[in-house]
Amino acid sequence: MAARDPRHLFHRSGLRTALALLILWEVIGQLDLVAGGALPAPSAILMRLWIDGADYPRHVLATLYASAAGFVIGNLAGVLAGVIFALSPAMLRLFRGVNIAVFALPPIAIAPILALTLSGMAPRITLAALGVYFVTMSATVIGLSQADSRATDLIRAYGGNRRQQLRLVSFRGALPSILAGLRIAAPNAVLGAILAEFGGGGRWGLGAYLLGSLGRGEPERLWGIGLIATAIAGLSYAGFALLAGRLIGASRAVTMNAALPDAPTEKEHPLLAVALRAGMIALPFALWWMFIWGTGVPALIAKTPLGVVDYLFFSPASASARSRLLEAMGQTLPVTALGMVAGLGFAFLLAISSRLFPRAIRAFMPVALVTQTMPLVALTPLLVLVLGRGMSLTLWVTISVTFFPAFVTLAQGIALVPRSAQDVPRAYGASAWTEMRLVTIPASLPYLFAATRLTVPRALLGVMIAEWLATGKGLGNLLNQSRGFMDYGMIWTVAAVSVLLSVVFYQLVVVAERRVLRRLGMQTAE
Amino acid sequence: MPAPEQNLPDGIALTGVGKTFRGRGRDVEALRDISLSCPAGSFTAIIGPSGCGKSTVMRLASGLEEADAGNIAIAGDMPLAAARAGLTGVAFQDAALLPWRSVRRNVELPLQVLGRRPADHADDVEALIRLVGLAGYENALPGELSGGMRQRVAIARALVTRPRVLFMDEPFGALDQILRRLMNVELQRIWAETGATTLLVTHGIDEAVFLADRVVVMHANPGRIVDVIEVPFARPRDPAIFSHPAFHALCDRIAEVLHGGA
Repeated sequence: MAARDPRHLFHRSGLRTALALLILWEVIGQLDLVAGGALPAPSAILMRLWIDGADYPRHVLATLYASAAGFVIGNLAGVLAGVIFALSPAMLRLFRGVNIAVFALPPIAIAPILALTLSGMAPRITLAALGVYFVTMSATVIGLSQADSRATDLIRAYGGNRRQQLRLVSFRGALPSILAGLRIAAPNAVLGAILAEFGGGGRWGLGAYLLGSLGRGEPERLWGIGLIATAIAGLSYAGFALLAGRLIGASRAVTMNAALPDAPTEKEHPLLAVALRAGMIALPFALWWMFIWGTGVPALIAKTPLGVVDYLFFSPASASARSRLLEAMGQTLPVTALGMVAGLGFAFLLAISSRLFPRAIRAFMPVALVTQTMPLVALTPLLVLVLGRGMSLTLWVTISVTFFPAFVTLAQGIALVPRSAQDVPRAYGASAWTEMRLVTIPASLPYLFAATRLTVPRALLGVMIAEWLATGKGLGNLLNQSRGFMDYGMIWTVAAVSVLLSVVFYQLVVVAERRVLRRLGMQTAE
Repeated sequence: MPAPEQNLPDGIALTGVGKTFRGRGRDVEALRDISLSCPAGSFTAIIGPSGCGKSTVMRLASGLEEADAGNIAIAGDMPLAAARAGLTGVAFQDAALLPWRSVRRNVELPLQVLGRRPADHADDVEALIRLVGLAGYENALPGELSGGMRQRVAIARALVTRPRVLFMDEPFGALDQILRRLMNVELQRIWAETGATTLLVTHGIDEAVFLADRVVVMHANPGRIVDVIEVPFARPRDPAIFSHPAFHALCDRIAEVLHGGA
């Protein structure tokens, strides 16, 4: 159908929408309508880009270098881990804790840790690689396990073993899934590199440039940097989309998959099950330990899990540390929850109304898809310009980072509701609202859960970046301050607590999702 | 072919109906000058190659699409008005059940759309589920049922409003031959019990001949009726008729018309 072909959509209404927005932006900018010139006109931004032209090459190169290196390393690790997990369900379960942690961790929270323990470009490359690993790993596992079972049966019928099945069928079958993963992974690598630059000092890199220009009150320059960063991320997405199209003819627009592939439940010894579960929880902490041991950083700077417990509960300053941490959490968590609910709520309303106003939504969809590739959270400095440094900034950052991915997930999910399911109420003369109440809203429930899973870590990341850069409140600010005071215990504590909070929230959503959907007899959506 | 007349009580009347789908660049004429009248309580089957517009006839008659030309009267009313009055029932090629609703709640869906209280029709729903042989599965979810069972839920759902007019678009298309025969026999029984005017779209010539009073044969490009063939066999028809020479002769004749030798 013409309406569902995303390429077609980009060509007509999408282009028109983009052009209209650009003109509107120019007019608003020329007239200084937003926050006294905080939103400059595109022409002014381009002028400034021209003036700053000499600064850019080194910054861009530094960011590109870190993202590219992280992209390669993260993908190698992701594919390798994916193959291992696809072959061994036990390993998949053992590493479940690690995988969730990597998916859910707010990169900004561990950027300072990486800066403390690694040197040179390594922190940036690591953070970029972490942003890539999960996407590629899960794409590989899903691709390999969804290989055509009849084709693998054929190999088996001729006595082929597991390795031959993989070589002859599964790898080729998994290619579209992996290539789709790479598309999402590429902008993630750019975002990871930029966030590491925020947190790690260093002179060159777009993140460092952005941070350095934040205090100068030059909106045109900040916007220029933001646009360049967006262009790099967008081009990397487009590049891999084109590659995938050339190689396998796949042109489907993809969103990030937030579902951890599940190991098939087999009958196993109860002791083994307990051991796997214990290992799953212990492994992230064990890796933390091994990382510190491996880097050889002294115990004064690098805190082990026990070191963090000691800092929080047994050291002389533990009471003060605990109260500062709790205060920060008390500031961060409500805003995160509020922003998430608002972002998801807007996305849900807009997505279900796509049934009522298909044309308007069709025009909006390309804009939403493009934002998928933007390092939205790295654009926080721009929002600081427009919104100032108050609560509303945090809230808007959170809403903006949750709204778009949630909308894309929901809208694509709702588009999957079969026409025949809607025909039934319509054939009895149902109104648009009745049809929506009986069919569209219940059918979109799995996608609402999927969107929630996807946005939990992003919301926390958005809030922490806003706090770090601007508002001076909450966990993000505590992390930034502790860097200045060289309060190493607190740096590690905030990092650990942020990751833990994100994992716990994610896990809560997963449990609620399973319960609700099982009761309704529905499948979880990816 | 009997002359189409308007305002058949409880019947179906299409007069000179045309439908063109506007595509990118070129328009596709799906139906041209379709005239068809089904008296109250009759059973009509439409048969034709893929793309001949037989499903479009069904979508127009059930009010899912609007005709560009001609006139459609369902029980003497406009299609959508008849649907809103609860006079019609529909079943599609795929069962189109809502996966999160139990068998009973799926069957109740049309009642809900029409603003009736399902509780007032509990006995009807119960009886219909028994009629389609699914007693004991009232609370099962569609995912727990076989394809044939799901299709029977769809048929129970089509009957829940006690329709005077029943539209069925290849309701057994996805079933295997054995199950299909079984469902044909069931449908004949249900039709006889309810007395609803029935319009069935199908791919199967034997299915059409077994069930219908008249078989309408359509051709494509543009979709049009090329012949209407009366089925003379007495009712109720026994499944043994499937191997009767006269049955085969009629099937052969329809196949001939269908494959272009009109």
